[in-house]
Amino acid sequence: MIDAIRRRLEAGDRLSGEDGLALLRHPDVVAVGQLANEVRERLHGDRTYFNRNMRLEVTNVCVASCLFCSFAKLEEGAPGAHTMPLEKAWHELEIRMDDPPSEIHVVNGLHPGLPFSYYEDLLSGFKRIKPDIHLKCFTAVEIHFFAQHYKMTHREVLERLRLAGLDSLPGGGAEIFHPEVRSRISHDKATGDEWLEVHRVAHALGMRTNATILYGHIETFEHRVDHMLRLRALQDETGGLQAFIPLAFHPDGNGMKNLPAPTAIDALRMVAVSRLLLDNVPHVKAYWVSMTPEVAQIALRFGADDVDGTIVHETIYRAAGSRSPGALTTEQLVRLIQEAGRVPVERDTLYNVVREHPRAVLPEAAFKVRDRKAARHLEVVS
Amino acid sequence: MSALTDAAIDRAGLRGVLEARRAGRIDPAAADHLRSADLLALGALADCVRAEEVGDEVAIYTRPAAVDAQVVVVPCEGRELTGLELLREVAVARVSGPRGVRVRVDWTRCGLELAQIALGFGANELAGQIANKRGLPMAEDEKLGVVGKKSRLEPAETVKRRELEGFVRRSGRTPRFDEEAIR
Repeated sequence: MIDAIRRRLEAGDRLSGEDGLALLRHPDVVAVGQLANEVRERLHGDRTYFNRNMRLEVTNVCVASCLFCSFAKLEEGAPGAHTMPLEKAWHELEIRMDDPPSEIHVVNGLHPGLPFSYYEDLLSGFKRIKPDIHLKCFTAVEIHFFAQHYKMTHREVLERLRLAGLDSLPGGGAEIFHPEVRSRISHDKATGDEWLEVHRVAHALGMRTNATILYGHIETFEHRVDHMLRLRALQDETGGLQAFIPLAFHPDGNGMKNLPAPTAIDALRMVAVSRLLLDNVPHVKAYWVSMTPEVAQIALRFGADDVDGTIVHETIYRAAGSRSPGALTTEQLVRLIQEAGRVPVERDTLYNVVREHPRAVLPEAAFKVRDRKAARHLEVVS
Repeated sequence: MSALTDAAIDRAGLRGVLEARRAGRIDPAAADHLRSADLLALGALADCVRAEEVGDEVAIYTRPAAVDAQVVVVPCEGRELTGLELLREVAVARVSGPRGVRVRVDWTRCGLELAQIALGFGANELAGQIANKRGLPMAEDEKLGVVGKKSRLEPAETVKRRELEGFVRRSGRTPRFDEEAIR
């Protein structure tokens, strides 16, 4: 079976849903990784991307009751609930202006009591502090909530937020699109179709977005494949997705804490299969917060070409029991990539190259038999 | 072995190593060649050798276990390895060690995540003390809450052993707790 899939990939044929299922079920994850690695190297060579970003969750008050969430609090005033005053949110950027991030990534709960102007002011305040900062803020679930709550269309919400400074959308909130799963784990927020529609509108407005999947809970392999095929269809239509990010479910402190967390093998398999199935999405991220930096490093050999960024402030995964550190420095990310024998490329949010780092003289790099492109990349190091 | 794996082994120039090993010739000097081979091809080779020589079972040691000439422990004491280096060490130990060598991964030194991945690169034993989230040994009478249809308390060791079994099974292998070898 895997040989037939390889022949189809070599012929440039698109993989089917059945192929995706076969890859998810294939007992030899290293073989699946080999296939994905070939595609990854064909697309990107050894280049591996990261950026200097800062995560911020300005409120965890949320009217939705997603079973997998350990972060949200149902109402203001509940133990652990917080909503940042705007000055405090802006301060998080101000205190980092000696070595500023190039991107702020904001994800929040669905707060029923804030005026829409709170979000507009949040964005415009960041731009006042650093006009060239890229604001990748609000998941499609939040955009849909804003549309319902403030009685606007998706387009109107996005246009107003863009005027305030919004540049792109993150990929969160996708979870699993299939209603059989979505209705059980997150029944009271945007449906899969609504999530896709928000991204469709954003792409029509010229914005770039990302996409995620939350895997390893009650979904089946069929649901995962269905999810990826829906994204592939959207990308065929709009071309606006930049990266796909598989997110592992973490069970601590949420409504599905009786389930085991997906393992490292599951993480590598998801990275590999998504690289193979999503042939029209340029980048697949090994999100180190979700899978630990150690496994993310290995995922760079299983199809991933991006490790996300410095993060600084992530709280959603930490609330769910992630053992990853809260932040990595640029130096740590560069080393993590170099140790994998890859070439670190610092990018901005839109994948423009900020700086290409050298391939390291480290054991794993020295071991590599292959490579031709790498030398050429090194020539452009500043 | 799939044709894909076969081709990867060929492309990496590892065919000779596999055939020599099958013929009973183990060249320790081959380790140098293995250290420069493509990692995933080497992993595929090591996994193939592992399946042929020691089968699918994974022995799990949760208390100090004997180490003799047939056992290679990775990572070895006092050596810091990246995840990829660890996988290579495991694969090299499998392919260049004596026939049927027991390649043991100490999860207390590399974490359970990497230990699980190493099972796909030639490892056939896992070892380490069962510990709590802070890395401290479990007390004998320690209990952990188990959430399910009926929440209950179970001995911590039972819960942790079940987790270990799950790790092994989800990598497609068969776990076996090895109590006899405990010293």
